[in-house]
Amino acid sequence: MPIRYDADLACFEAACTVEDTLPLAEWLEATAAPRVDLSACTELHTALLQLLLAARPAVTAGPEDAFLARVISLSPLGRGAG
Amino acid sequence: MSELFDQFIVEAQELLETAGGALLALERDPADRASVDELFRAFHTLKGSSALFDMAPFTRLVHAGEDTLSLLRDGRRGMTPDLADRLFRALDQCARWVAALEEAGTLPADAGEAAEALARGLSGGPADGAAAGGGEVEAFPWVAGLTDEERRAAGEGTLTAIDYTPDPDCFFTGDDPLALFRRVPDLRLLRIEPAHPLPPLAQMDPYRCVLRFRALSGAAVEAVTPAFRSVPDQVRTGSVTLSPAFTPPAAAAQGSLAATMLEEQTRILDLPGSAAERESRRAAVARAVAAILTALGRPTQRAAVAAACGDVGSLRRFLADGPGETPAVSEPRPSAPSAAPRRALRVEPERMDALMALVGELSVVKGQLGPLVRRAGDGEMARDLKAFAARVDSLVGDLRHAALRLRLLPLARVFDPLPRLVRDTARRLDKTVELVLEGAETEADKDILDVLGEPLLHLVRNALDHGIEMPERRAAAGKPPAGTLRVRAFQDKGGVVVEVSDDGAGIDPAAMRRAAVAKGLLDPDAAAALSDADAVRLVFAPGFSTAGSVSELSGRGVGMDAVRAAAERAGGRVEIDSTPGNGTRVCLLLPLTLSITRVVVVEAAGSLYGIPVALVGGVQRVKRGEIRAVKRAESVVLRDRVVPLVRLRRLLGQPEDERARADDCVVLAELGDGPVAVAVDDVGERADVVLRPMTGVLRGLRGYAGTAVLGDGRLILVLDLRELL
Repeated sequence: MPIRYDADLACFEAACTVEDTLPLAEWLEATAAPRVDLSACTELHTALLQLLLAARPAVTAGPEDAFLARVISLSPLGRGAG
Repeated sequence: MSELFDQFIVEAQELLETAGGALLALERDPADRASVDELFRAFHTLKGSSALFDMAPFTRLVHAGEDTLSLLRDGRRGMTPDLADRLFRALDQCARWVAALEEAGTLPADAGEAAEALARGLSGGPADGAAAGGGEVEAFPWVAGLTDEERRAAGEGTLTAIDYTPDPDCFFTGDDPLALFRRVPDLRLLRIEPAHPLPPLAQMDPYRCVLRFRALSGAAVEAVTPAFRSVPDQVRTGSVTLSPAFTPPAAAAQGSLAATMLEEQTRILDLPGSAAERESRRAAVARAVAAILTALGRPTQRAAVAAACGDVGSLRRFLADGPGETPAVSEPRPSAPSAAPRRALRVEPERMDALMALVGELSVVKGQLGPLVRRAGDGEMARDLKAFAARVDSLVGDLRHAALRLRLLPLARVFDPLPRLVRDTARRLDKTVELVLEGAETEADKDILDVLGEPLLHLVRNALDHGIEMPERRAAAGKPPAGTLRVRAFQDKGGVVVEVSDDGAGIDPAAMRRAAVAKGLLDPDAAAALSDADAVRLVFAPGFSTAGSVSELSGRGVGMDAVRAAAERAGGRVEIDSTPGNGTRVCLLLPLTLSITRVVVVEAAGSLYGIPVALVGGVQRVKRGEIRAVKRAESVVLRDRVVPLVRLRRLLGQPEDERARADDCVVLAELGDGPVAVAVDDVGERADVVLRPMTGVLRGLRGYAGTAVLGDGRLILVLDLRELL
């Protein structure tokens, strides 16, 4: 399971695919103040990205993957994390 | 539209024209301060007047132009051909907008984006080379709207823009749009944004893609497209040129503190009060203005500032006109004699035509007064009548002259586009060309100017393209590397002459003869018999110069017959002479006006005919014995040229002249493709006539340009020799 859900924190690990879309959507909707940890994420499917963009969870740790780091830092998510 | 708006249109057109001229001058001599000032003033005035109307993009663009020019003026930026291109592009855009405004009353829908793109281009520093992407930027309007941060990330130079809007159902087909961008080489910028505003999470369908991707890559288009091979229908790529990020100047920009302070000074100046109060305020304002200007890095002579502070209007002008250079505002500036251009009076063309027709009729009626006076005999009454007729005569003459002058405009109107045309064409061809314009103040009828414009552009383009050689070839031939193109206008026996001459390669008559034979226009003997001048004149033959290969052979471009046709339609003609190696000179000879035609009256079989003077090269008597006849084809040697001779009686289907005569009266007609001698029974006066085209059943009649009434009331038919022959 690439995304581990821990109460209000979701940890993205390795390649996160389109399979994770529905669980992530449900979790984001159900969680009052969701936080995400992207540090171990190596691939992020577009469907997941757009969910994050819509829900704007707090990003506790940005991805280490250079490409994803850039995507996130230029998005409203990155600016929210400071 | 309101009068104010109309006024804006006219003024904008004038200003844009002025700006174009100044820009050309400035490009030639970047140190030309007068041109910078003039250009600045034009942009500044346009900014002010356009702000009165709802046309924000227009104002935005001219404002950007003004900012650029103020940098140029202060020496903080240098003039380059590239910057000139950008400014020209901005002027062109404004001209198109003014045309659209005149027609539709509003700017086109894409004006905002276009203004943004052009304004960015202006504010950017001098980009190196490859400015070709300018047009492409318009295809990716978001590129123009990048934030400063994004621009820094993207860098400068030629980039590939990617515009990818994935199919909303793409997740079902296994696409992962974001992943595609991992494969884009040298990705400089990736902007991910919702294509539509995102719905609240609860209403969102997580399996529908609602994102849109915009990216810039430093790699070439061909290197980028493979990444999107699977989604060619959803992605658009193209190359764009970005100039380096640029910080606008802080000093004196519109809305800056300094500008506000200066504005405040003009307000203080306008406050009411006693003379003494105002006088002391004036001194205070002058000190303040001088201090502000000095703080802006534009120290100004105190006396000049004090003079400008006389009243609000002059202070505003002083500040707007660039305080740094204004020596003394009270004196008119010699560099701008037409600071307040006289407003032209616009009259409907139909009214002008009606006036001209009446004047024409009046001239004819006046002509009938002469015979009447003669019939009156010698009495006292006749003497008075004669004096009276003489006065009417001169008044009608003056009236006609005045009416004709109403339609006259300076040739500057057709000359104005030339500097720009020459600049652009020469730049494209990599040639260096000096354009010399002479006689722009020469006047001609508006109709003639309208006819003249197109052929003139054609001749100039031809001379640049085929006449003037590449700099290396010129140097090899011992000529200065820069070619000279001279366009000269002057008045000549009742007509206007426009001469286009170059110091280029010239036309080789031998090559023209060979080409004519090769094209099957002439058989080899006929070609060999042509004089050099006549061989060169072959460029005007229809179907000759339209061949591409000929243009290389002859060093002349296509469509010279179109130039000839246009000149002849206007009742004029065209002449050419060329010396191989030394250059070519083409002359357009046009009548002064289309409404009055000067004709030579000739007689054939008892009827009178008119031949337009513009076509007549000479009139002379030729001895019968000098006319050589081969069967019925006759010819005569005139001015060392063998000229075919035609008899007007035969042309018109009249019986032959049976009278035995020692010599024939011959009118030498210069037609485009060579002279023709027209034998007539007699040659009469030259007369100015109002030519009336054939109407009704006569319209189908070929060979006649129209009818006209002579001064004595007799009717003549004016011949169209080209059609008749």
